[in-house]
Amino acid sequence: MSLTDDVARLRQEAFDEIGRADSPERLNQIQIKYLGRKGAVTAVLKGLKDLALDERKKVGAAANRVRAELEEQIKETLGKLSVAAAGDAFDYTLPGTAPRLGAIHIVNQVIDEACLIFQRMGFAIERGPDIETDYYNFEALNFPPDHPARDMQDTMFVEGNGVLRTHTTPVQARVLETQKPPIKAITPGLCFRNEAISTRSHVAFHQVDGFLVDEGVTMGDLKGALVAFCKAFFGEKVAIRFRPSFFPFTEPSAEVDVSCFLCDGKGCQVCKQTGWLEILGCGMIHPAVLEKAGHDPEKYTGYAFGIGMERPAMLKYRINDIRLFFNNDVRFLKQFC
Amino acid sequence: MISYKWLKELTGLDWSPQEMAERLTLCGTACEYIDKADRYMDRVVVGKVTALKPVEGAAKIQLATVDLGGDGMDVICGAPNVAVGQKVPVALEGAKLAGDMVIKKVKIRGVESAAMICSERELGISDDHSGIMVLEADAVLGTPLAEQLQYDDYILTFELTPNRGDSMSAIGVARDLAALGGTEVRRPSFELKEVSAKASDSIKVSIDDPEGCPRYAARLIRNVKIGPSPWWLKRKLLTSGVRPISNVVDITNLVMLETGHPLHAFDLDRFGSREVVVRRAADGEEFVTLDGERHELVPDVLLITNGKVGVAAGGIMGGLDSEIEDTTTDILLEAAYFDPAVIRKGRKHLGLVTESSSRFERGADPNGIPYAIDRAAHLMQELCGGEVLKGIVDCYPGAIEPKEITLRPSRCNSVLGTSIAVSRMKEILQGLEFTVTGDDPMKVTVPTFRPDIEREIDLIEEVARIEGYDNIPDAVANIGPLYTPLGRLDRFKADARHILTGSGFDEIVNHGLVHQNQSSLVNPGQPQVKLTNPASEELNTMRNSLVTTTLNVISHNLAHRNLDLCLFELGKVYFPGGGPGQWVEKERLVLAVTGHSPHTWRSRPRPYDFYDVSGAVDHLARHFNWSGLTYRPHRFSAFEGDLSFQMTVDNIEMGFLGKVSAKISEAFEIKQPVYLAEVELEPLLAAEEVRKEYRPLPVYPAAPRDLALVVDQSVKAGDLVEVVKESAGDLAESVEIFDLYTGKQIDKGKKSIAISINYRSDEGSLSSEQVDQMQKALVSRLKKNFNAQIRDK
Repeated sequence: MSLTDDVARLRQEAFDEIGRADSPERLNQIQIKYLGRKGAVTAVLKGLKDLALDERKKVGAAANRVRAELEEQIKETLGKLSVAAAGDAFDYTLPGTAPRLGAIHIVNQVIDEACLIFQRMGFAIERGPDIETDYYNFEALNFPPDHPARDMQDTMFVEGNGVLRTHTTPVQARVLETQKPPIKAITPGLCFRNEAISTRSHVAFHQVDGFLVDEGVTMGDLKGALVAFCKAFFGEKVAIRFRPSFFPFTEPSAEVDVSCFLCDGKGCQVCKQTGWLEILGCGMIHPAVLEKAGHDPEKYTGYAFGIGMERPAMLKYRINDIRLFFNNDVRFLKQFC
Repeated sequence: MISYKWLKELTGLDWSPQEMAERLTLCGTACEYIDKADRYMDRVVVGKVTALKPVEGAAKIQLATVDLGGDGMDVICGAPNVAVGQKVPVALEGAKLAGDMVIKKVKIRGVESAAMICSERELGISDDHSGIMVLEADAVLGTPLAEQLQYDDYILTFELTPNRGDSMSAIGVARDLAALGGTEVRRPSFELKEVSAKASDSIKVSIDDPEGCPRYAARLIRNVKIGPSPWWLKRKLLTSGVRPISNVVDITNLVMLETGHPLHAFDLDRFGSREVVVRRAADGEEFVTLDGERHELVPDVLLITNGKVGVAAGGIMGGLDSEIEDTTTDILLEAAYFDPAVIRKGRKHLGLVTESSSRFERGADPNGIPYAIDRAAHLMQELCGGEVLKGIVDCYPGAIEPKEITLRPSRCNSVLGTSIAVSRMKEILQGLEFTVTGDDPMKVTVPTFRPDIEREIDLIEEVARIEGYDNIPDAVANIGPLYTPLGRLDRFKADARHILTGSGFDEIVNHGLVHQNQSSLVNPGQPQVKLTNPASEELNTMRNSLVTTTLNVISHNLAHRNLDLCLFELGKVYFPGGGPGQWVEKERLVLAVTGHSPHTWRSRPRPYDFYDVSGAVDHLARHFNWSGLTYRPHRFSAFEGDLSFQMTVDNIEMGFLGKVSAKISEAFEIKQPVYLAEVELEPLLAAEEVRKEYRPLPVYPAAPRDLALVVDQSVKAGDLVEVVKESAGDLAESVEIFDLYTGKQIDKGKKSIAISINYRSDEGSLSSEQVDQMQKALVSRLKKNFNAQIRDK
């Protein structure tokens, strides 16, 4: 044990105490304790005269340095403590000092919100590959061989006859092959389209698909579930309408519109003056899809739906450029902390 | 586009345009827009050009004097086709025309003009802006234009689903309306008067490819007089977005718009023979379509020939050489049915989408041919003075019969969740012109204009859409499995997102498409999944490391002066699999930092480094109970050699952490240090889940001891902590590094490390002798193992 070690220990103790000091009064006490007339550092300096020249030089330098450091640290801390001091001088407008908060990507926030609503309704989450086969992306879903979506112009392919999935419904086809009803699941994930990148279109987007297969599932069940979802997701006030539509893998098929929540259905630029926003597609699972997966459509019926998530995210947050999602500019990301 | 008046004419329904559009939309025939046909005709009247004078100093404009049926006025006009005697639409001051044009008083070259003679485009009638619109000679001066043109109408624009080819016609849409309104479609009725000469004596038809063209029917009409169509016909075309050309062509277009069946009229004299042969084109065969384009054909294209050369690309576009001209007198009128898939392939080869091809592609009605061809022949007789030869020369080798489908009303109600009466189902199907016999089950004969109806479920949809989806009661209770589990990956992702954002990291999301060179640079020698038809060459490969996309994001941010970044992504990487048609997708996590920590009133910025990343990994390790997280130097090509580490958890290789190499940073135009970790999730999630377990809170006091050591700089703090833990065993409740110092007072090549150890026993209070003894034993171990100098008090 040497005196320089003592000095180092004193320095550490003093710094610790300064760090914990919560008032100018406390700092004053610390100053006296270490640097006062009877202070610990002062004592070391006073004891120098008893040391050998060599030792005196070494310890003296260390102690003086520590004294200077402590004086500086106390001064600086005092400055901060006085701006944050109690009473009239306490500045409660200074920003808090918790660590900076990061942002969950807005598209994931919106997906999570949708998934949580469905999870509370009893849907499991199922996932599948992004690189699909023609079979699961199209054939198992009753797409005819010459359907335009199977075209190079609409869909991107990878070497080895892989299809960059154009929706997450292939996961439905996969799950139907491996599980027995009742099955109730949503299939969130990334999808791709062969499109030019612009403010309104991109090569990739996110989808939350979902389906239920059981005995006695009706279109009324589909409607009830999606009305519940839309109200939870867009707000209790929205009106919801189901319009007949067409998808190869559902029959009957429907498009779901919610009343425009930007203009309360009065008509605005966003809803093209119609008062309605097209939000999702759905329908009763086509019997051919159930048959292909080995289920008897006489025994089981089911419903399915699919929601592209970027559009509702853009509508909800008034985002006017779809490219912002994949640009990942932190000035954009942080707006949704 | 179909006019409201036309639909009223075909159904007799007196619904408002809005109601019509709404009800059609809700039955699946989506009406996107309703436009007033005369929305640009307010304050536009019929006038007559009575005089034309040049305007001094302006070669391109003239001063026209127009008679509005009372007062005359002078109007400046720049149209090349203006002429004295024409009846023209004159827009008066205040008229609002298409393209946001408002008519105001103007003075050009000292000449005042308070009106304008309009083009069709300015009136919203068509896209024609080549000159002013010239009205019929019997137009009444001063009459409001909308009244003169019978344009007090609405135009409904539909967006049809691809399965409903039958709705691509006025009659088709009217059929849905009739079913909705409980009425019947009023098809135009007519009496065709044929001359005694038989068409079959003058023309032969044969089909070489009955699969591509199951039916080809022809009629001959002689002695027609080509000229302009009457206004009522032009109006129907214009309000449907089709340009009038001449009476014969207009008639074929009208019948197509009305019935949905595309027709084609050939000039018989220029046809080149008296026989029609339908066959596949030969490879390399040349053909010029009537738009003047020369095409080199392939067998995908079905060719209508005169026995020798092509005269039309069947179902897509006619040929230039047999097109109707002003001098045409004899017409060969074609009404055929083509297979949708053949048309699709053919028009893709030709690069053409026509009114005809889009109808055949969605499925026309092979049995609607006689009505369509007779209707057109009748109109040619009425409007062009033609003589219709006797009979249709009809080649229909294998008749396409209507399908018969059984519908069980109970099944219908059980799929829909409704209780629709059998009689109502019947009424709906009959309203759609299906033939229904029996009640339960019903035998439904589906007309051939509805090729989309294939099985019972399709009939159920018909019932549902006409009954209205609104009338299907919404379920109010949940059904399905009692419980559905949440997979480990999803639980991991949700927790990790919150932990990392709580640690100050922003989440990024990428689509995973990169350029192959980027991938090769970051992950050299690793196999890649390449796109065969990328949307953009820049995105021609799927990432095989999250590092690639992360560096792109960092680069983008730095370019926008976002210099301080803490980022993470949970995403997939892709590799080719074992064989063709197999791929491997792996879930990974990437963490990256660059720049400086925040500068606040209480803290100074410092550069982000290795420990900012490892600290975030520690948070995850603590939350997910990954025990034994260790870093081992390991050379990864993406990292600087001496700052490249492999991370392991209980001997599971979980990923790597390091400082991105200068070479790679430069390639991504990144000019500041980036520290980054990529974690493979699968092995971590495959390992047995370690559950957190409660430990009783301590009863006996702790004995804290600090220990300051001077060791060689190469000694790792982690190794010291390991030895401390080993030495003290269960009695060391916690061991923390609390100070690290190099510099003055410490010899070169050495560092001072301070460790605090909290001793505690759960069996009793530790005496200071006990603790001192442990410390002593520990110190001697540290001295022995690390040659440590102890700076103990």
